[in-house]
Amino acid sequence: MKAFDVVVAKDANEALALLAAHGARAKLLAGGTDLLVDLKSAAQVPDVVVDISRATDLAGIELTEHGLRIGALATHTAVMRSPLIQEYFPALVDASHTVGAVQTRNLGTLAGNLITCVPSMDGGPPLLALEAIVTLALSAGRREVPLGEFFVGPRKTVLKPDEMLLDIVIPRKNLGKPTAFLKFGLRKGQALALVNVAASAWIDPKRQVFVEPRIALGAVAPTVIRARQAEAWLEGRPATPESMAEAGRIAAGEAKPISDFRASAGYRRDLIQVLTARALAQAAAQAASKRKETSR
Amino acid sequence: MSSISMRVNGEMRTATVAPETTLLRFLREQLNLTGAKLGCDVGDCGACTVIVDGMAVNACLMLADQADGRDVLTIEGLATRDQLHPLQQAFEIHAALQCGFCGPGVIMSAKALLDETPDPTVQEINDALAGNLCRCTGYTKMVAAIQDVARSRGAGTVKLPAPGNSGRA
Ligand code: FES
Ligand code: FES
Repeated sequence: MKAFDVVVAKDANEALALLAAHGARAKLLAGGTDLLVDLKSAAQVPDVVVDISRATDLAGIELTEHGLRIGALATHTAVMRSPLIQEYFPALVDASHTVGAVQTRNLGTLAGNLITCVPSMDGGPPLLALEAIVTLALSAGRREVPLGEFFVGPRKTVLKPDEMLLDIVIPRKNLGKPTAFLKFGLRKGQALALVNVAASAWIDPKRQVFVEPRIALGAVAPTVIRARQAEAWLEGRPATPESMAEAGRIAAGEAKPISDFRASAGYRRDLIQVLTARALAQAAAQAASKRKETSR
Repeated sequence: MSSISMRVNGEMRTATVAPETTLLRFLREQLNLTGAKLGCDVGDCGACTVIVDGMAVNACLMLADQADGRDVLTIEGLATRDQLHPLQQAFEIHAALQCGFCGPGVIMSAKALLDETPDPTVQEINDALAGNLCRCTGYTKMVAAIQDVARSRGAGTVKLPAPGNSGRA
């Protein structure tokens, strides 16, 4: 690696001050699983790497009045082990579990997965299907950005050079919303997604219809996207295999998959169709089993 | 230059490193602990796996600076002068390694697993080894070796066997 300086920031304020001072010449280091790989092959490295990996105020996963807050330093392992996430959002456990392998999950953070912003990220779809909001901070102030607006393109987000992500919040209204995440890769371990899909939905217990279905697709467009036409079509429709299959067909039509050495666009379209229908079915099944639990 | 100090295999080590030095290079080149291997250097192969504060990590993806104040365990920290670690014994008995390049990483991954999950399922063992690439032996014998250790030690952390009862082939 080319030489750079490392400065340790012990909390978010210190990190923000350092970013304000160094601007685009600084980079934040959290999990490092993407940054260090990039720096090793980079022609140009930042002057200063601001190490926030031990900034205690950025760790933590907790319930707040706004919803479930996942701190910027929460690793994939922390997500998988969090009792709160296990209870409210098992789909996030599944997504984090498919990222890399144990060693990279112990280092890499969910927030970093969003910030690196590769189209095949596994953290993106479930968070997008749950309408997560990210809190971004400059030394001058904060803003809250819906995750869908955070992604700009491959490896590009709205984050400014001197801005940092503080936390990811899943809004309170979606606490416990039935959600499923499915990924199809070329291998079971350490593989990038050819397609990944997350679906969240409430099921109206009386009429057995979809309420607020949300479908997010990864690896099939420049960023993770919502399948909004499929969502709109599904709203109020009965939770039947037929309607889920049709939602899958519509979602496949909305995506813009590419052909590459991993898979052809046509194959990816077929995957979207099948995985979307399956994810909806799993979300519906979760809704049904939750109802049983509460009526018991 | 950064000045760092950390516990490595139970001993406090203090050193000065260039800030961009990875933990792996620090261990291998400054502490001469060459057990952890430099394979891919990008987090894919697991040959560099060490345990930091109880967690298996890729030493190639951590700066030495980030390990400042932490507790690092490498393969060199497992055996004593007269006794291999039970995992090392089991790997020998099962012939679970051929060239051995992946071995230190695989064994550290297995150690981290057993420290937390004393009686893992095959699925859990596979998951723990997913980040360790072996191009020689394959994984069947490794899984069997790890199961053996889990079975013989029962619940709790893996302990070194009593002297004279190493069970070495
Ligand atoms: S050398 Fe670190 S994972 Fe390959
Ligand atoms: S024994 Fe040769 S790579 Fe595993």
